[in-house]
Order: sequence, then structure tokens, then C-alpha cells
Amino acid sequence: MSTSDRSQGRTRGTTPRIADLASTPETPRTPPGRSNSSIYGSPGGFRVEDEYVVLEVGARFVRGGLPGETTPRCTLTFGPDEQRRAADYRQWDPEHHHSRRKRKRDQAWGQDHELYRLDINQVDLGLVEDKFERAMREAFNKYFVLDTKPRRIMLSLPPKLPHALMSTILDVLFGNFQAPSITLLSAPVLATVAAGLRSALVVDIGWAETLITAVCEYREVNEQRTTRATKLLSEHMANILNAALDDEPGAGDPKAEISFEEADEVLTRVGWCKSKPRSNRRTMYFAARTSPILEEFEDAVESPEPTINIPFPKHTPPTELTIPFTSLAKPAESALFAPDMALNEFDDQELPLHHLIYRALLSLPMDVRRLCMSRIIITGGGSQLPGLKTRLLAELEALVSQKGWDPVRNYGSASARHEQLMNQKRENLELRNQEGEDKVSESLDPETPLPPGLQNPEEDFIDAKLSHLALKNVPSASLVGGVIRGVDTLGAWAGASLVAHHRIKGIVEIERERYLQHGLQGATREKEVSVVQQRQSMGPGIGMGRGGGDRASWTLGVWA
Amino acid sequence: MAQPFPYTYYTCDCFDSNNPLASKRGPQPLEEDERDFDPHNPRSNYTLYPLEQLLYCEDCQQIRCPRCVAEETINWYCPSCLFEVPSSVVKSDGNRCTRNCFNCPVCTSPMTTNSLDQHGDGPPYILACPYCKWSTVEIGIEVEKGTGISAQLAKIANGGHPIPSLKERDKERERKKELESRRREKDAMSPTQDSPTTDTERDSTPSHDDLFYNLSSFYKSQIDAQTPSNPFSSAEINFSSPSAYSRIMSMYSSSSRKNKRSKPAPARDAASILEGLSIHDPSNDAQAIERIKREGWSTTLQPSQKLAQPDPTIRFSDELRPLATLLCTKRSKRCRSCRHILSKPENKITSTRYKIKLLALNHIPRISMRALPSQYTQSSSAPSATATPFAYDALKPGIPTHFLLHISNPLFDPIRVTLATPSTTPGKVQSRVTILCPQFEVGANTDVWDDALASSLSPIKHSAQDAGQIEAGKIWDRGRNWTSVVVEVVPGFLDGVPGLASSIGPGAAPPTSTNDGRKRSGTGALRDVGEDDGDLNYDEDVLEIPVFVRLEFEADVNAEERGLGDSRGSKGEREKREEAFWVVVGLGRIVEI
Repeated sequence: MSTSDRSQGRTRGTTPRIADLASTPETPRTPPGRSNSSIYGSPGGFRVEDEYVVLEVGARFVRGGLPGETTPRCTLTFGPDEQRRAADYRQWDPEHHHSRRKRKRDQAWGQDHELYRLDINQVDLGLVEDKFERAMREAFNKYFVLDTKPRRIMLSLPPKLPHALMSTILDVLFGNFQAPSITLLSAPVLATVAAGLRSALVVDIGWAETLITAVCEYREVNEQRTTRATKLLSEHMANILNAALDDEPGAGDPKAEISFEEADEVLTRVGWCKSKPRSNRRTMYFAARTSPILEEFEDAVESPEPTINIPFPKHTPPTELTIPFTSLAKPAESALFAPDMALNEFDDQELPLHHLIYRALLSLPMDVRRLCMSRIIITGGGSQLPGLKTRLLAELEALVSQKGWDPVRNYGSASARHEQLMNQKRENLELRNQEGEDKVSESLDPETPLPPGLQNPEEDFIDAKLSHLALKNVPSASLVGGVIRGVDTLGAWAGASLVAHHRIKGIVEIERERYLQHGLQGATREKEVSVVQQRQSMGPGIGMGRGGGDRASWTLGVWA
Repeated sequence: MAQPFPYTYYTCDCFDSNNPLASKRGPQPLEEDERDFDPHNPRSNYTLYPLEQLLYCEDCQQIRCPRCVAEETINWYCPSCLFEVPSSVVKSDGNRCTRNCFNCPVCTSPMTTNSLDQHGDGPPYILACPYCKWSTVEIGIEVEKGTGISAQLAKIANGGHPIPSLKERDKERERKKELESRRREKDAMSPTQDSPTTDTERDSTPSHDDLFYNLSSFYKSQIDAQTPSNPFSSAEINFSSPSAYSRIMSMYSSSSRKNKRSKPAPARDAASILEGLSIHDPSNDAQAIERIKREGWSTTLQPSQKLAQPDPTIRFSDELRPLATLLCTKRSKRCRSCRHILSKPENKITSTRYKIKLLALNHIPRISMRALPSQYTQSSSAPSATATPFAYDALKPGIPTHFLLHISNPLFDPIRVTLATPSTTPGKVQSRVTILCPQFEVGANTDVWDDALASSLSPIKHSAQDAGQIEAGKIWDRGRNWTSVVVEVVPGFLDGVPGLASSIGPGAAPPTSTNDGRKRSGTGALRDVGEDDGDLNYDEDVLEIPVFVRLEFEADVNAEERGLGDSRGSKGEREKREEAFWVVVGLGRIVEI
């Protein structure tokens, strides 16, 4: 009996999968009991549960912990201080905090803080392996402090991670940490899980790019990317700070060039984002929906402009910069929204966030859009910026009320006619609304019957009652759709922790032996192995069907 | 680097060669043997170790670095109170001390328990940091007892509000859910007034933990609802087991159950905060912005402070929590390829001794470099040179400087050493290095007394009169188990003098590894941004010389006997052995002229 067989037998009888949760309620379904019996096992044995370690790998951070815990045990970074040689303790030197590290000659902004970058041409995979291995060693030895038993790994990865990077990461986990199996889960799905939802539009404002994924019933159905993300944000912040430092009286002759660490610290500590653009306030679409708090906040023009003092101990000479509070919101403005550029000036990979969210929603089928638009999850490192979530939702709402869900952006010569049509529609709508209030007049006016499209559908009270009863167990709040609504998530790591805690199996599960034999090439081409289990008779031979438990092939799912 | 100059780092390449997965990574650009080691390559930081940190596997006869050993935890203890924590507690209570040990969330130093009582001993108690004076008063936490602080803290949120325990949380959730479902039942009877879900719980934003536990219980109920309680559907139908019999019996006896579900409730989204749904609330954002504006920089947290917190998403200093001290472990280390134990500490927490410890120090010659005392060198024309110690921090570019490379042998067999080094150091600053005597022997490590008893200390005498008599091909000095040779180094120019290559001579073509190393770490299009702007990277002005060391010696076949000091008397078979590795000698920092 192979080890994989045995380990399968050990799992609790019904191991639900994410996909099981995803199965639509209407369809009749086979009970998800995968009958891989441990008939050869010891009778009534006390089962050893498979134990998991939960990891989340991102471009700049690795989070790790154990399932069922609310927060990761460690969040490890990949800064230059983590890449020092053994016995190089200069980072603890008091002097160290006063010297600014220059950017390396051939390095992009913040590159020495990255674990990997998505452009494989620019990645030294060996270095990625070194960094990841060291971080994992620290996680296991310092934070997990587990016993010697090998642990399965629940690994959250961004979707469409290049295979070279994936196999580097898997090599380390299989090779150095002896994981018996690794379950790959995609970060947007986990963010959805951690928000308590089944469908969502996940806006992951990550490091190098913002990834917008539409998730419907735990499946990724659409994906959009833009390079407007934290990296650009911190670069813009650095520019603003440099300019401010140069403007200081007594600024030195060499232009100020603050390091990534400083810019990042300023950004994470006091950076913010205007909850609502000033320019948009004049326009009409905000009229109805503004919340009083924001309005008041925006309107208050303080007479002494509020400022923030930011110490720069690494500057020469060390200085404390006094910067207007509003200018700390500029980077978010310029990096993520770029309001002063027309939409046609952007390249495909650098669309502003709100336009991209709109585009993602637009490309969804209508019923999925209905679900997704009221389940917008904004997550990722960039989403920590206060005000950003509110702003994104407000911008999106403005876009929707301006454009509707019309994929045509410009009707050209036909625009007049389109306008007319729209006006007519609107009038009709108003008409209907008015008439809805006094139905009597409508029915009493037989000469001018309304076109059926404008008539109110007849309400059948029994139907209404029946549908209400059918959904008795479903609270109405979980059926919300059609309005823009943001939902907070606990993050992908927490989602993975939940999934592992409830012993839900992922679709992409890689066994160690198989991986060591073939690497990623061993995966089947099909994107999904059948997640609905085969019907199995409940005869006495139930334990013999060993093929049921032993997964003959494995897939890479969305990573394939 | 951090160690004072000059220092020596040893490479460990066993990982790459032993890892079966590494070979899949695609062909190496060059054969391992043909490639020069580049200490400025960012990858080198992961392969270089001081000799003291390396272990040696006697079976594989190879150096083992922390990266290529497998570690096994022997026991857990709190480094602050030295209390040994049993593994079951580690499993249930996590990786932190569950007693009274806490670290300051601001400066990480250990905190002390102080009493706020006038007499100094009585409740209430607080935790205070003796270094930065932060205390739990700032987050509004006082505890009643001076011991068992961890348990008390777990029940107090910042500001003094009680945190419900897990059980209380469940109970509370059940109670609220009951209320809610009752309300919904009412709605179902009268569908016309579709009241929105109650927002009464929204007054206080739930914490991360609350949401997580709510979500967790929500998913649990969802999964339970999805999995019918049909005993046959579960995997184990194990007729030999008594528990299965009882299950089947109970199935038959309870077949008359009334409340059998006909259809599982459809899976659905979480609908309320009780189920973990948290709708984005713009007022939170506005509050945070307002607060930053009002209180400024000092109220926010440093990135490192945030990351150390249990909940790294916090932003303000009043959200800090004292950090329970992380547990430490005693670990034994095994060689990853042959699984032999390389190091095993004693079980007792307070003991620092080891049962097994196979150090590379005992098997690998120690190599060090230092400046040749100036009275021996030609350039000692400076009169006061004897008084000033050699300035390793200020190597002068372009001026030939002599160094002594010293090899001492820990083995009980004489070794033949072959040294090799690229003629110019890799990297941007190219220094010229010549080892004047690359091949020599080092005597065996005998009893220390032999040294004292031997009449002549050193066969070679050097005196001040010998100045300038550094001969190529001859060793400089020799002792019982050590030998030193002279290395001539011409530190390179920092600003890359254009005529440098020609001044070094035609034979000094830059070694292949420089180009190669850069190409591999290459950054494509970005590379030409600052390729030649003359600015040096961090630490590129450090003169580090890669030296390839090859040892040959004859040793007893029986590996276990080595190191016991009796190898001279044994008449067992001898076998020829060989060791080869790169070392990197950091000589000093080159200054600009």
C-alpha cells in the first residue's frame, strides 16, 4: 500500500473540498463520501489527523502559521537585512540606522525587498530559492517550532504565478522541508473565503501589480491586471518626499534621494488617500449617495493647513520634514487613479484601478456581475492605505452611474440617437415610477395601453410567498446583488487557515513522490480534475475500490 | 563585513550538489569547477559562513552548513524564564511563553512586572519596559495578579475591556443567532415587510479574532449542513470495528427520527457579522485619516513593530499588545544526505553542553590572512610604521601590499595544500592578487607539548634585515601544524581607472565569472540604467579575495578513530583523501585616493 493511499485513508470520512462548497444548491448531488476505506487499517483505530502548515507567498512577504489560528505566526520580509551573510551583525550597529543605503546600480525601485518578480527574465531563480529557503528555515525553526513530524502544506499563491517560480518554491518545500504534500490555493479564492463569501470581485493591490479577479462560486472567472500598485505608489511617495526635502531651507547640494525603506515607512505610517476626489464633487452622480461623514470631512477647509512632521534620521544632515498633510495623499492619487489623464492615454497594463474594476465587472456575465458588484473585496498590501477602499468604491459607483453597464464607450456618429434612446428609456422609467404610485389610473385608462415592456409585471402573491419560503433558510442579506458594496476580508492567509482548519481539500494537491519524479510536468493538462465524485454503490466491495482514493493524476488548476 | 577585518568565510556547496531538485533547474551556465566564486554575487550571502558555524559530516566527509542539515526539535523552553515547555503545551498554546514573560512591543526588550500599589507589592500590576519606559498603562491594561500574566492578558483587550474566551464567544454567538433566526421566522410568515437584517451589532466593529471565529463557525455549520449524516457516506465502513457496529445499531434504532432533513440547505454566503461578514465601512477610513492628521507621525507604528505584533494590520500605537516571549528550542542536527547526527545538545535546558558536536573546526584547516608586519616589507620606508597597526579599513588602491596567509591544520595527518585564486578579484573593483607560494605542506596536529619541547621553533628565521627578501615559490614561515605564505595584493581603484586593465598587464583578463555572475543575476533592460555610472554598491569597496583551497592527505580508513588523537599509533589502512572548497578572505576596505 503506497503511502499516499494510507494517508488518504487517514483523513476523516468526508473530506469536503472547496469545490463541494461550490456546487450549486439546486442540483441533486451525490453525497461527497469518497469511499476510500481503510479496510486494512487497524480496527477502530484512533486516527492521526493530517497536520498542516499554512503559508502565503507574495512578492514581498511570506506569511506562515498553523491552521485554525486567527493570524499568521510570522510575516517575513525580504529586505537587505534579511539577506546578510551569517555572522554579519551590522544591522544591529547603532550607526546603521543613520546611514542610508543607496540603491544598487542595476536595480529597480525596491527590488532588493522582493522575493521574486514576475518577469522571469529578470529573476535569478537561484537567489529566489536562497531567499525563500532562508525565510522558511526561520519560519519553521523560530516561529512554528514543530515536532519532527512532516507537515502537509497549504500554500496560497497568486494565480498565474510563472511555473519557474512555482517549481522553485515547491522544490524548497518538498526538498528542504520534507512536506508530504502541498495543496495550492489561489489567493483571490482564499480572500473570498476569508470574507465569508462564495462569489466576489477581489481587488488585490499587491506589490508589482494590482490583480482583479472575479470569483464566482469559488472559481476564478475573470482576471484583470494593472501595474498601478504599491510599488508605483511608494515610488511616487519617494518623489514627493525628495521634492519636499529639496525645498527645505538649508537642503544640501546633492539632490535628496531617500531610500526605499524610508519611502515605504512614510507610506505605511502616514500615507492616506482622499476618500473622494474633489473634482468629482461638482458632477451630478454623487448627489444622492454621499455619506455625511465624508462630505463634512472634505468640506472642512482648515485655516492653518494641517501638517505632519516626519523625521528623517538617515538624511544628511538628519532632519525633520514638515510636510502638508494633503500632499501625503498625492501619491495615491497619481499612482492609482491618475485623474489628470484621459482614459485613451493609458496602456493596457496601466489602467487606473477604478477603470479596471469597472472593466472587470463589465466583462462578466450579467448574473455574475450582479453578485460580484455587491461583493467587492479590496485586499493586498496597498489596501491598508486609509481611505483607499472608500475612494475606490466611490469612484466605481460614479463610473457606473455615469456609464451604466454599456460596453460601448463611444457611439460616434450614432451618439445622438443613443442619447435619445437613453432619454426615452429614462422617461419611461420615470413614467413607470409615477404610475406605479397610482395604479388605478393606469387600469382605468383603456385607450392608451402601455407597451408591455413598461407595464409592471403582475405580482403573484403566492409565488412571492413560495419563493420566500424556499429561501427561508437563506437570510436576505446573503442574496444582496446589484448594488456596489465593499466587503472586508481577513486576508488570504486567514482564508487558508480556515480552509485547512476545516479540512477542506483543494483541487491542486501535489504529492511529494509524484513531484519529485516529474516536477510540475507531471500534472495533467486538464485544468480541473473532476471534483464531483463518481457515484459509488454501497455494496460490500466498497472498500476494494482503491482507485477511488488514490488520485491517479493531479492538476495545476489555474496555474496550469 | 560585520566581523573585523581581516576575516575568512567558508563556502558550503554541498547543498547544490546533493540536492536532486537543483539539477532540474536547467543547465548551469558553467561547470561548477570552472566557475570562480564571486563574493559580490548576492547569492554568495547564502553560501558563506564563518568556520565556527559550520559542521562536518564525517560519513559524507563534507562541510555541512545550516542550510544542508535537517533539524529536529528536542525540547522547547522560554529563553526568558528558562521554563521547559512540554510539547503538548506547545501544540495547544502556541509558540510563546504562557507564563509571565513578555517583550516590549516598542523596543523588544524584556518587560518587568511592576506594581502600581503605593507599597510596591499589591494589585494592580502592570508590565513595564525598563528600557524605553513603555508600559501597559498606555494601552489601558492593568492586571490583578502578579503571576500568570499571560492568562490574564488574554482576557483583557486594550482599554481594559474583557475579551470573551472561545467558549463564551460561541455561547454569545449562539444566543444572538437564535434571536436573529427567530426574527427571520417572523419575517417568513409575513413576507411583505422584508426587514433588513438587524444592524444592532454594528455599533462596535468586531475584531479580527471575532470575525475569524465567526467565519469559522459559519463554515463549520455550512459543511455540516452539506454533509448528510448518513453513516454509509463516511469512508470507514469497517465491519471489524466495534465502533462501526454501534454506529449501525444506532442507525437502525434511530430510524424513526422525525427531523430527518429532506434536503440540505443550500450553501450560501455569510449574511451577518455573526457569520463573519463585515461590510466595508467608510467611517473607519475617515476616522483613521482624521487621527493621522491630528496626532501625526508618532502615534503610528514602525513597520518592524507592526510585523512583530500578533495582528500585523494594526496602525496606531494604542493598539499595541505586549509580546509574549517566543519559545526557543534545542535542536539536534542531522546530515541531510546520510541522516547521521551532526550535533545534539544535552537535554537539560540550562546545560550548554553537547552530546554530539562535529565541528568543521576540527576537520577543516583554519585559514586566515593578516598584513605582513611592515618591517619585513620593502615599502616600510615610513619611519613610524612599526608603531601604527595596519589600517585594514583603508587599503590604498594601486599600491602593492603584502599579506600573510596562514593555514593551521586541525587534523592529525599532514596535509598538502594547493591554493588558487583568480588573478583579479571579481566585481567592479578589480584588485590583483598573487599567491607567492600556492603549493605547500602543513604539518600534522600533534600534541601541543611537542611544540614546546621542540628545540627550534621555526625553521625559517626572519629578521628586519631580511627586508625585501620575499621569494616567490617559498613559504614564509612554518610551525608544528601551521604554515604561512605571502600573498601580494594590489587593491583596485574604486572609480575604475580606465587604464587599470592595461596597468595590470595583458594576462589579467577579468575572470569569466564577473560577466557570468552578472548575467545570471541580470536585470535585463534595467541593467543599463546604471551600469557605468561609477557609483559603488553597498560593500563593493570591500576587498574580498576568493581562494580555492584543495587539501590532500592520507588518513585512516576508519573514520571513527579520527579526532581521538591516537592516529599516530594506529597501523590501519591509510587512504588518500581530498577536500576542496572556496574560502573568501575579507582583507579590508579600499579607500579612494
